[in-house]
Amino acid sequence: MRFLEDILIKFGSVDRRVIFVLIGLAVLVPLLSPVDLAIRPTPSSQKVYDAVDSIPDNSNVLISFDYGPSTRPEIHPMTLGIMRHILSQDRGHKIYITCLWPDGLYMAKDALKTINEEYDLVEHEDYVLLGFRPGNEAIVKGLASDLRKVFTVDAAQNPISEIPMMEGINNLNDFQFMFTGSAGYPGTFEWVQYGADPTGVPLSSGTTSIQVNEVMPYVQSGQLKGILAGMPGAAEYEKLIETPGIAIQGMAAQSYGHLVIVLFIILGNLAYFITERRERKY
Amino acid sequence: MEQLSFSTILGAWIAAFLTLGIFSYLYRDNPFYKIAEHVFVGVSAAYWAATFYWTQIYPNLFGRLFALDSPFANMYVIDKGHEYNGLYFFPLLLGIMMLLSVFKQVNWMARWGIAYTVGIAAGLKAFGYLSSNVISQVKSTAVELFSGELAFFAMSGPSIFNNIVIFIGTISALMYFYFSREQSGAYGRFTRLGVYFLMISFGASFGFAVMGRISLLIGRFNDLILFSDPSYNYGTFWMLGLIIAALGYWSFQNPERTEG
Repeated sequence: MRFLEDILIKFGSVDRRVIFVLIGLAVLVPLLSPVDLAIRPTPSSQKVYDAVDSIPDNSNVLISFDYGPSTRPEIHPMTLGIMRHILSQDRGHKIYITCLWPDGLYMAKDALKTINEEYDLVEHEDYVLLGFRPGNEAIVKGLASDLRKVFTVDAAQNPISEIPMMEGINNLNDFQFMFTGSAGYPGTFEWVQYGADPTGVPLSSGTTSIQVNEVMPYVQSGQLKGILAGMPGAAEYEKLIETPGIAIQGMAAQSYGHLVIVLFIILGNLAYFITERRERKY
Repeated sequence: MEQLSFSTILGAWIAAFLTLGIFSYLYRDNPFYKIAEHVFVGVSAAYWAATFYWTQIYPNLFGRLFALDSPFANMYVIDKGHEYNGLYFFPLLLGIMMLLSVFKQVNWMARWGIAYTVGIAAGLKAFGYLSSNVISQVKSTAVELFSGELAFFAMSGPSIFNNIVIFIGTISALMYFYFSREQSGAYGRFTRLGVYFLMISFGASFGFAVMGRISLLIGRFNDLILFSDPSYNYGTFWMLGLIIAALGYWSFQNPERTEG
């Protein structure tokens, strides 16, 4: 028993670099040789799917890219999944893209490039990239009252008044569904407070894992129609739309990384309690 | 094998170098980490400044001051679909006053711009928070405890059991922050329950934070795996070799610094 305790105490004082290497390997190995893990959609992801599914035909859908390269692995698969879901039904939906983050514009362009390889989309007929405007919640509030004051030109500097699919689009009330891929401020909170709540337009969100706890109350109160929670949320959505992508591929790495972390938390705690007990004893 | 352009390969090599440079901090603070950190801060600041100017100041401010119908149209025109609006000289003036904070004699002027910004932000926030975070959230915690229509228990979604947990959790956690009464006896035990609810919430937040960080690590690893491809001339391996060799040599030359 004492021998086992000595080993556990040694685990408690292991060099932090060893832990980094083990976590790195636990994440890297499943990426190099993929492992299939069962993925079951959670109720919040299912709500997002149902919300997108229930959009009436020929609707205007607004997607906001409120994230940058740093959170791309988590949120990009969500926005791709939402766009695929909207377009795969071939129900005449039109996509309007805005960005509250400056680098969101490049995320949007990247997503459109991927989607354009799968669907034959025509700019200004099937989608319009309105682009980025700085101003955080003031922009969302501006869109809710008068979109044409916020955007007079799209991202490619084409006048809004000359874009056919912008006809009849004056504020957020002209959309039937909104989705924000959000990595923080400005993002989900601002869209709920200044976009969805005042107008009543259904809003769903894809957030980073770190935001989930704060955003979840909006789902329970019905202010948000579900959220996609981090990479697992993205993987669940890929599963729901039956289009496996990078989120599903990453889930094995995610799971093994967590296992190593949990293992070291348990070992660290055991080592702490054993050391404390010995110190009390002697 | 797909032939990539020189600029794509160069970009991949730089990305691999910067990623591995940041990772090298896990070993210890070193020049590669410093280079990556400084490049990140510098590029971010420059990128934000350029983007803000070209997406907001130029089209929405100057676009209104130098519109086609402005009095200055014979001198300079920026046609971004706006009409001339002289009121926009006011935000221009406030913006210039904020920049004056770098000059000691007139730095008091910056306070006007800051005061205006803070006032606008406070007004906007007050409305949003009151409506969405206070009223709607209070409404959603007013749950039915004795409804005959609800199941007694459900793993997720509304049920009598879940509603009781929401009710007790909300009240006990709020009571913990009521400091005008000593937290002892039955009241103390109730507020202690609130602490447990808070701890569960913090634990969930920590778990989600870890999950988020692992997701980001997966993203970087995916890119490093991609850049190790022959089409990128094995960029990741070259950069990894360079950083390991340089760090090894540096540690060998400075043995006293290798600890910790």
